[in-house]
Amino acid sequence: MITFKEMQKAAEYIRKNVAADDYNFSINGSEDLLTRFAQNGITQHISGNKLNVNLSVAFDNKNGQASGNNLDLDSLKYLIKTAQSMAKLNQSDPEFVQSEPAHKLPDVNNYAKNTADLPMEKIVDDILKCVKNAKGKGAKLSGISQKHVYDTFLTTKNGFEGFDRSTSFSHSMTMKKEGVETKVSRSVKDHVNFSMQKMIEQLNSQFDSLNNPLQIEKGKIPVILRPAAVLNWLFYLIWTFDRRTADEGHTPFTDQIGKQFFGEKFTFRSRLDDPDLEASKFLNGGIPAENIDWVVNGVLKNMSATRYYAKKNDLKALRPYNIIVDGGDTTEEEMMKMVGRGVIINNFWYIRPTDRKTGEWTGLTRDGVLYFEDGKIQKSVTNFRWNEILHDATKRILAMGPSIQQEYYAKVPTLLIDDFNFVDVTTF
Amino acid sequence: MDFLSLAMDTAKSLGADYADIRIQRSSTEMIYLRNLSLKNTSLNEIYGYGIRVFKDGAWGFAHNSVFTADAMNKTVKKAYAIAKESGRIKYGDGLILAHERGYIDSYKTQFRIDPFDVPLSEKVELMMEVNKTMLNFAEIKLAVFMLECRKDEKLFASTLGSRLDIQTVYIEPTLTATAVAEGDSQSRTYSHGGQAKGWEWVQSLNLTDKAVQVAEEAILKVHADSLGAEERKTLLLDPNHMALTMHESVGHPTELDRVLGWEADFAGISFATPEKLGNYQYGSKIVNFIADNTLVGGIATAGYDDDGVPNQKWYIIKDGILNEYGNTRATAPLIGLKMSRGCNRATNYFDFPINRIPNLYLQPGKEKLSPQELIADTEDGVYIEGRGSFSIDQHRENFQFGGDMFWEIKNGKKVRPLKKILYKSNNPEFWNSVDAICDERYFQTFGVTNCGKGQPGQRGRMTHGGALARFRYIRVGGSK
Repeated sequence: MITFKEMQKAAEYIRKNVAADDYNFSINGSEDLLTRFAQNGITQHISGNKLNVNLSVAFDNKNGQASGNNLDLDSLKYLIKTAQSMAKLNQSDPEFVQSEPAHKLPDVNNYAKNTADLPMEKIVDDILKCVKNAKGKGAKLSGISQKHVYDTFLTTKNGFEGFDRSTSFSHSMTMKKEGVETKVSRSVKDHVNFSMQKMIEQLNSQFDSLNNPLQIEKGKIPVILRPAAVLNWLFYLIWTFDRRTADEGHTPFTDQIGKQFFGEKFTFRSRLDDPDLEASKFLNGGIPAENIDWVVNGVLKNMSATRYYAKKNDLKALRPYNIIVDGGDTTEEEMMKMVGRGVIINNFWYIRPTDRKTGEWTGLTRDGVLYFEDGKIQKSVTNFRWNEILHDATKRILAMGPSIQQEYYAKVPTLLIDDFNFVDVTTF
Repeated sequence: MDFLSLAMDTAKSLGADYADIRIQRSSTEMIYLRNLSLKNTSLNEIYGYGIRVFKDGAWGFAHNSVFTADAMNKTVKKAYAIAKESGRIKYGDGLILAHERGYIDSYKTQFRIDPFDVPLSEKVELMMEVNKTMLNFAEIKLAVFMLECRKDEKLFASTLGSRLDIQTVYIEPTLTATAVAEGDSQSRTYSHGGQAKGWEWVQSLNLTDKAVQVAEEAILKVHADSLGAEERKTLLLDPNHMALTMHESVGHPTELDRVLGWEADFAGISFATPEKLGNYQYGSKIVNFIADNTLVGGIATAGYDDDGVPNQKWYIIKDGILNEYGNTRATAPLIGLKMSRGCNRATNYFDFPINRIPNLYLQPGKEKLSPQELIADTEDGVYIEGRGSFSIDQHRENFQFGGDMFWEIKNGKKVRPLKKILYKSNNPEFWNSVDAICDERYFQTFGVTNCGKGQPGQRGRMTHGGALARFRYIRVGGSK
């Protein structure tokens, strides 16, 4: 990978040679190893380093931006020439904001040597274990193992300089045999916290609980959403979690800051000081990250904002850099006893907005659905389509399990939600 | 230095059964204008090479952006080592590549004005004018214009002796107006998706006129009613809308890698399994889907795919029956085919090529039929234009779509605009419900440039097309 010294050298060249009134210069690099397998065999296996070098300049408030994937002098010269000539040809941007000055950045460690040093052979060994497990069950396994080392560097005309090196390892796998199909996935920043044996056990547990699914009626049904489903759901909710579009009247969050918009049991934060989670040191062109509460006990506290909109409205120019949803201590067994009947959902799939203003989304269930009644799992059932106003669904949270690490950037609990709006049943 | 030959010679000397190299420069110009504020004016150029090595039935792939003999040799050796490592967990008894020969050829998208030669100031001026036109309407609170121009220059060589020089270009202008009124926010978009054409195409679009239409329809939409509870209705779907439905419910299920389960962990598999070839009634007898990577203006048209296989044209669905898949050199032999249809494509130099949807279109009706005649022949239905909400299961059977603009049809006439309309259907119900398709005079193509697939995800592109078509007895209703 490119060294920090090489990045600083490139930054120095930019500093000396950019004639524009303002600039942001960023370098994002990665070292990647990805091993993909399907139907019990490796189908794709990739290694390489990637680099994105980006220069954004402004003459007065006229912008231009150029990017490439090389750091040599000729490439830097080309970036300067291209970005500056674009800015000169451009029109004024009434929402232009000057680049950030120097800031003290939080002390965050996103790098794990265990992950960075993980050899390809060890990854293949682990995949082989997973494949042997699947073959033992007469099933087919598909998935991907990947490790990444990421570099993020940013410097500005006004004196900001920030650098962060982070790592991640992730593994996901889907086991399928006839009508039974289920998946587990997890990612960590430090591979030492990853256990393939536990992943295999979780996969086997899900797989063994399923059988050829039967169809039940659609309708409003209590659901136990396991963490993968909760995170998938939250990911899309965050997609529209923007202060400006809310203020302009395009989303359900309009005029809801400070109000009880979500259910009282729902709290969502981003934290710098959770040792298990990655946390960006800086965001949005050089804004230092900080601990931030987005929703507390259902009250909408903060939303994402750009630097322009934050400055104009005296807001914080932040976004959710990691996801922590507070949990509780209810087990799945206790949840099943709390409601007469319902379904357990392993994951969701293909979530899309159906009405951005009301906040209604659609999606399907995936990776196995279990029907329970009288406090016990009764049978596997076919998948459902749901159309649901997701923030309203948080008002129907009846109980929560402990918040657990699902990805290297997220901790979420299992949720028991009443009357989830299933509008269709699928054919499998 | 002849890097192509160097890489192939090194691969052969290592003992590769097959190898190829793609040297690729991808240039993307993006301009994003939001309410007269230029949020992004950028030119991105990435340049590098990806090397695939096939050894004992397994693949290895390595990429690099350093162009020296040493770096290239190391990258080939890395790809070879990875292929050997992959061989520890072979797919079955090892993959086999479909027969192919080498080609020495070149391909270039046909255009008169290279979009990269058009000054930025000219593009921004046009975009500002369009944006202002939309914002002149009091209820339009958000006007967005996104312009993407992309050029890919590829040199491809393989150990079969191929030497290909390929240059493709596409342009994608997208305008969206959003009206806010009565506590609601509704948008309307004008877009043909990406088109493999020159800037002269953009000049011919009269985008300022389109801006007026889009703004007016966004305002109509925000004040419109929705429908009530779901009921069975007739749908008239315009070709822009159908571009998305055919992409999701015909294009993806007929990618052979999905059929074989290669995408089971993420994008999903397919209900359209090989035993259905030649006998499965996918659509009504007037439904013919043609895969055509030779289509002029098509954004999957490139002369050859990234396996070095020539672009071709074939039936995916013929007279309503599932006829064939889109496949690659590695997937075709797994269902007993000797040759590939050439659907293996990568997005950037660092991406491994994957089985992609070809340019795919619904063949126009053979009988003369205009949209006006089709509307006049429809007693009670909903006419849907453009693309909206879309969601489909991972087997590509059950789906729900919205749209961008909706009109109620009563007694052969468009009587009022509607909003928040959703319909649900499945395969094979949906395409079997088609009872009329307008003729070739009304055939239009629309590009899809954001087809997400693969792990790691890649952004694929292809063109779809059709003419206005009628679907009977589909579940249609208003969202909540």
